[in-house]
Amino acid sequence: MSDINHSEHEQHNHDHGHDHAGHGHDHHDHDHAKEAAPKERDSRYWLSLEQWSQDPEFQKMAEQEFMSSPLKESDGEDGWARREFLKLMGASLAMASAGCIRRPVEKVLPYSKQPEEVTLTVPNFYTSTYFDGTEALGLLVKTREGRPLKIEGNPKHPLIKGGTSARAQAHILSLYDPERIKGPLRNLLNKAKTNRDTIDIKWEEIDDATVKQLAKGGVAVLTGAINSPSTRAVVGDFCQAFGAKHVMWEPLAHEEIREGQKASYGEEVVPLYRFDKAKMIVSIDADFLGTWLTPTIFNRQFSMARKDIQNMSKLVVFDSAYSLTGANADVRVRIKPSQQISVVMGLAHEVAKKMGGMKPALEPFANVASEIGIEPALLSKMAEDLVANRGKSLVVAGGLPTLTGKSVELQIAVNYLNSVLGNDGVTVDSKAGLPGLGASYQDLAQLVDGLNKGSVKTVIIHGCNPIYSLAESFGFHEAIKKAELVLYTGDRNDETGQVANYIIPDHHSLEGWNDAEIGRGLYSIHQPTIRPMYDTRSFQLSLMTWAFMAKKGPKRIQQFETYYDYLRNVWKEEIHSKVGKGKSFDDMWDEALQEGVVGTQTSGGSRTFRADALNSVKPTKSEGFELVLYPTVQLGDGRLANVSWLQELPDPVTKICWDNYVSISLATAEKLKVKEGHLMDISVNGKTYKLPAHIQPGLHNDVLAVPVGYGRTAAGKVGTGIGLNAYQMVSYQKGMPIYSGAKAEVKNTGLKYDLANPQGHHTMEGRQIVVEATLKEYLKDPAAGKHQHHIFSIWSGHAYNGHKWGMGVDLNSCTGCNACVIACQSENNIPVVGKKYVIQGREMHWIRIDRYYTGYPENAQVVFQPLMCQHCDNAPCETVCPVAATVHNSEGLNDMVYNRCVGTRYCSNNCPYKVRRFNWFNYAKLIEKPRHLALNPDVGVRTHGVMEKCSFCVHRIKESKNRAKLEKRELKDGEVITACAQACPTDAIVFGDMNDPNSKVAQMFKDPRGYALLEEFHAAPNVRYMTKIRNNDQESLKGHDSKGGHA
Amino acid sequence: MMKRNPLVLGHKNLKDITEDIVAPVESFPSKGWLGLFLSAKTLLIFYIITLGIVVGTGIGLLGVNHPNAWGTMIVTFVFWIGIGHAGTLISAILFLFRQKWRTSVARTAEAMTVFAVMTAGLFPLLHTGRPWLDFWLFPYPNQRGPLWVNFRSPLLWDVFAVSTYATVSMVFWYIGMIPDFATIRDRAKNKIRYMVYGALSMGWRGRARDWSHYEMVYLLLAGLSTPLVLSVHTIVSFDFAVSNLPGWHTTIFPPYFVAGAIFSGFGMVVTLMTLVRIGFPEFKNYITLDHMEVMNKIIMATGLMVGYAYGSEFFVAWYSGNLYERAVFVNRAFGDYGWSYWCMISCNVIIPQLFWFKSVRRSIPIMFIISIFVNIGMWFERFVITVTSLHHDFLPSNWGNYAWSPYDTAILVGSFGMFLTLFLLYLRLFPAISIAEIKPVINVGYETEEGGHH
Repeated sequence: MSDINHSEHEQHNHDHGHDHAGHGHDHHDHDHAKEAAPKERDSRYWLSLEQWSQDPEFQKMAEQEFMSSPLKESDGEDGWARREFLKLMGASLAMASAGCIRRPVEKVLPYSKQPEEVTLTVPNFYTSTYFDGTEALGLLVKTREGRPLKIEGNPKHPLIKGGTSARAQAHILSLYDPERIKGPLRNLLNKAKTNRDTIDIKWEEIDDATVKQLAKGGVAVLTGAINSPSTRAVVGDFCQAFGAKHVMWEPLAHEEIREGQKASYGEEVVPLYRFDKAKMIVSIDADFLGTWLTPTIFNRQFSMARKDIQNMSKLVVFDSAYSLTGANADVRVRIKPSQQISVVMGLAHEVAKKMGGMKPALEPFANVASEIGIEPALLSKMAEDLVANRGKSLVVAGGLPTLTGKSVELQIAVNYLNSVLGNDGVTVDSKAGLPGLGASYQDLAQLVDGLNKGSVKTVIIHGCNPIYSLAESFGFHEAIKKAELVLYTGDRNDETGQVANYIIPDHHSLEGWNDAEIGRGLYSIHQPTIRPMYDTRSFQLSLMTWAFMAKKGPKRIQQFETYYDYLRNVWKEEIHSKVGKGKSFDDMWDEALQEGVVGTQTSGGSRTFRADALNSVKPTKSEGFELVLYPTVQLGDGRLANVSWLQELPDPVTKICWDNYVSISLATAEKLKVKEGHLMDISVNGKTYKLPAHIQPGLHNDVLAVPVGYGRTAAGKVGTGIGLNAYQMVSYQKGMPIYSGAKAEVKNTGLKYDLANPQGHHTMEGRQIVVEATLKEYLKDPAAGKHQHHIFSIWSGHAYNGHKWGMGVDLNSCTGCNACVIACQSENNIPVVGKKYVIQGREMHWIRIDRYYTGYPENAQVVFQPLMCQHCDNAPCETVCPVAATVHNSEGLNDMVYNRCVGTRYCSNNCPYKVRRFNWFNYAKLIEKPRHLALNPDVGVRTHGVMEKCSFCVHRIKESKNRAKLEKRELKDGEVITACAQACPTDAIVFGDMNDPNSKVAQMFKDPRGYALLEEFHAAPNVRYMTKIRNNDQESLKGHDSKGGHA
Repeated sequence: MMKRNPLVLGHKNLKDITEDIVAPVESFPSKGWLGLFLSAKTLLIFYIITLGIVVGTGIGLLGVNHPNAWGTMIVTFVFWIGIGHAGTLISAILFLFRQKWRTSVARTAEAMTVFAVMTAGLFPLLHTGRPWLDFWLFPYPNQRGPLWVNFRSPLLWDVFAVSTYATVSMVFWYIGMIPDFATIRDRAKNKIRYMVYGALSMGWRGRARDWSHYEMVYLLLAGLSTPLVLSVHTIVSFDFAVSNLPGWHTTIFPPYFVAGAIFSGFGMVVTLMTLVRIGFPEFKNYITLDHMEVMNKIIMATGLMVGYAYGSEFFVAWYSGNLYERAVFVNRAFGDYGWSYWCMISCNVIIPQLFWFKSVRRSIPIMFIISIFVNIGMWFERFVITVTSLHHDFLPSNWGNYAWSPYDTAILVGSFGMFLTLFLLYLRLFPAISIAEIKPVINVGYETEEGGHH
């Protein structure tokens, strides 16, 4: 075993309670346990009769055969291998937390030499980062007994202040994915590279073969976007060492933005957009609240600009698909991709009319309003608003729906408009621009050329999955087969793994050291939160190893034994000087580890727009159906397809889960006689694809919208075969991808298909559920929109003299990002039931975001409502439980006593909000190891036949109360925070003590915008919703205008 | 003095009665009975296996889901309990009203009640998510506080109501059969038969004192059972009425359910009696066409009450102006489950109107068919009540349909297996008509007796 690996494991003193655990007993106890209970075998694959019959001798031998763990061979001081330790802790944990199930007795052993900072049951929080290819979020990872349990946002992150996204919350599950490969693999590829067999292989063999191959030259390193300065440094050093080329590529590359910026201002950069500084925002298909660039940061910025309702910002969205941003728009106009340029240039034309400065390039765009089907007055008003907010407005476009082949021209037009309005340097911040977003299709096209010509012989692929996310027409699929050696650092033998010769698994992002530049000038450290679970090696260390073995490259890539050392060196040499602020390196380093983020963001600097850039922008016209491909909030580019939480998370707008589909407008559905779920044949680029139809209100009649990220073929048990791979529908022009705007044909096959949609009905049927008001109504009366019922009771209710917990949900801040849903699932061990049972109505989410359409169906608007247990003071569920399994406690919570529940389900019937969830089967039994390690020990795992529901995170309340009691003080407002409130990037959910008159939640309850859901029912809920205010120019929401384009 | 039709046809004397009624108990079963019994038994075994699978794997095998947390198990429960009420009405209430015609049908009707309650009783126990913990529903002293049950919950009241009903009905039925068991014991030629029926008859000697005690106990039990006819189904209706759902939360439910129960119960009695008459042709002299006609009249009367209840529910829903109430009722008739609603209306309201015609009332084939429809309609009524209110309640995002699965069908059909097995066994083991009660009315309708009155 190479020394480097050995010391990497030993060297980080950053302790997780593993290496110091001096466990008194020896291995023999283990063997005994192993022989006593035959381990679960994979009944499909066996190589010999001994393996099949589970011969103990053979098993023992099999266990040792490919072992390359350093600990097993050389550890002297502790007789405990980490895997056994993890297994045992996991087993004891499962036993402790699954109280109702009888299990054979398993012994739990405490530390005999407890590590200093570990107190059992008290969590440790470590800062880290989550990077999904575009957005880097600062995280606080809650760990207990040496493993991460829950992801939280880092409150010290200056841009998100503690919020997270659904995918950041969910990626912890990929750490415990049972299908992660446990060591490096060699693909037994045949000549055509079509078979799937792999065998285990030692690191030394791979390293030897690789170094030999690298000596031949023609090396390319293909990675996803890298925003880590240290990783960039390593890759740079490696490329220097071997004369290799570094290509960065992501399916969601932001090339068009960089190209557009280059054409407009001469610099290739992805700016940071400042939605918090904008009073008037126009988005043309940029789903900045959902999936574009840095949605969590944008969510926070956007909502902060709207907290002060009197001065709230205005959002106008021109939407091809029904995006999350369109759902939050004050004014939404449905368009098709070929109209994007017309929209921007039309607006620019109107702006020029008002401000002067008409350009010849703008002349052809005089009648855009009628072209896109809105009143000219509306377009004029938008221009007026933009002009009135010069310097504090923002026009954005980008993302897959804009990659039409004219995507760069669109960016130029947008840049022009921003410059004319004086936004550049204020709301379009090029200095603060997102570094590391250098992914490029054109560079990848060059790599394909190189492979075809034979000049590229070796490819090391890291952090991207090109075989999955590229259409075959790009040429990569054929070209990669020509390489002599392909190495892949993925965590499983996925689509790209299957064309690689060696799979050299990288640590999971929660297992390894790294860093990130989360904004220019802002740096964060990425700490590991668990010792690597398997025999994985970080990508950076692999590069360092090869450079060391070949004795090539700059000194620093050869001199360090671990990537941790290399990283520290980069920080010492390069970053310390930028952000040191006079502190010593060690102090700065500790601060970086503790706070999570160091440095200050650079900003400002407006630029001059290149006058002639606009001339390349010409009008486009198109007839017939146009395809729009877009990433979804829940799956993004598809890399987390095997995370079941994300597959079961319904899309925020369509509310469909476990599938993708083609969205069509109501008129198209009627014309083609399509019902929801009918299979459609979609022909685009000469091929035909079958997809179920989803009828989407508010879609342009010529648009066929299909989400990407589905249709994986080798993601694992959960993600494989779900939906259709829409990346296949992409075509390429000069290396640039065409995702949208492609002409398509669609036909109804008449075949039926079931789409899983947990939401039953999509309109409010005239009931007061989500209350909306226009800004004008609000300014006249803050309680506008609410019908106040006359509630009376002859009984004054119980007195709550201690704490009285309540929750406020600001519907004006909630953007529907669904981070709270995943946070709750993670915190409370909520099971996933799968597509079949979602269709049967058995989904288990304790909090859900209901989405209702309002207005006219062709041009529907959307409202969101997070719905969780309302903890009613007059709870209808409490009176009807025959065994008193649900009771009200002295602090206003409705407590669900799992142990007492016999499962009559009367409580669910009586709940008007239907927030209760029943365990129809024994979901706990189905948890596959090591997935059980992600369970939160503070919250039980429910057995079958038991009802469960949101508990206002009562375990967190208890924990905080205990802490305050130990510290002999009162609880502070904001100290107790539920998982959903903590995850929310927009502070839409606020939790606190209503008996504390100064608490935020008490203010919310007094706010005139506040109302209780189903108030007249008089369940006296402890949750208040604040009305949603739409900043359109309407006097009131009553009597919607049916002409297209109006709110 | 009005001329009555004879209650016992065929000029029977006392010996004839004993011979006729005890004959099925003393003779070997016919092929018909054996065939029916084997099918019922098979269905029962299938039922037990299905229930075992459901209890072991999880209640999710049925169609219950969010929001329809109650489904076919509760519907079938109410169905069977309702059926039982007719039996108690015939045995107890008609006894107190001194209706002599009840004598030939009372025993079998009471048996039907006991078996219906037994069949129904399984459902509230097995529809729970953790049936092995059902004993927690009973208030027993314990060390955990002591931890009592929630007496405010209608399901708890159900526990008391149904267990009271089961025990009282069982006792009433059994006590009534004691003199008849003694008759069989006295005729017994077989040692085992002698011992079994001897034990069952509890040492009955037929002395005046025995009869005097018997009459008193019978009267008391009848008096005890009478309020149960009204109260038990009222409590069962409280499962729905005390909750808050639109379509459930209405004060008409207690009388509506009780009327419906009697309606469906008489439907089942008519079904069973026509089959008994066919199976034991001699019984036609005891369960005469007049008996059947009277029962049909009761079916029609209660059917009209049920029809009125439907109408008034609808009216009040509209009159209340309550948005949710109105929506539920419109949805009931015209929504996804509209077909079940119209099935219910036609079976319960329209079809029994045929009984206005005497020829229909006295035609065995037609009344058999109508009684089947009555039971189908009543099952659907409970289905409509349970599912349509749950699937279309306050928040539209929660609306969702019941996910009917093969297990639902299996359990519904299987419950009939249990009921029929018990009933068929009863027909062969216990005297199906009350010898002790028939003998006193043997002369009714004949001119011979002095005074001509009882």
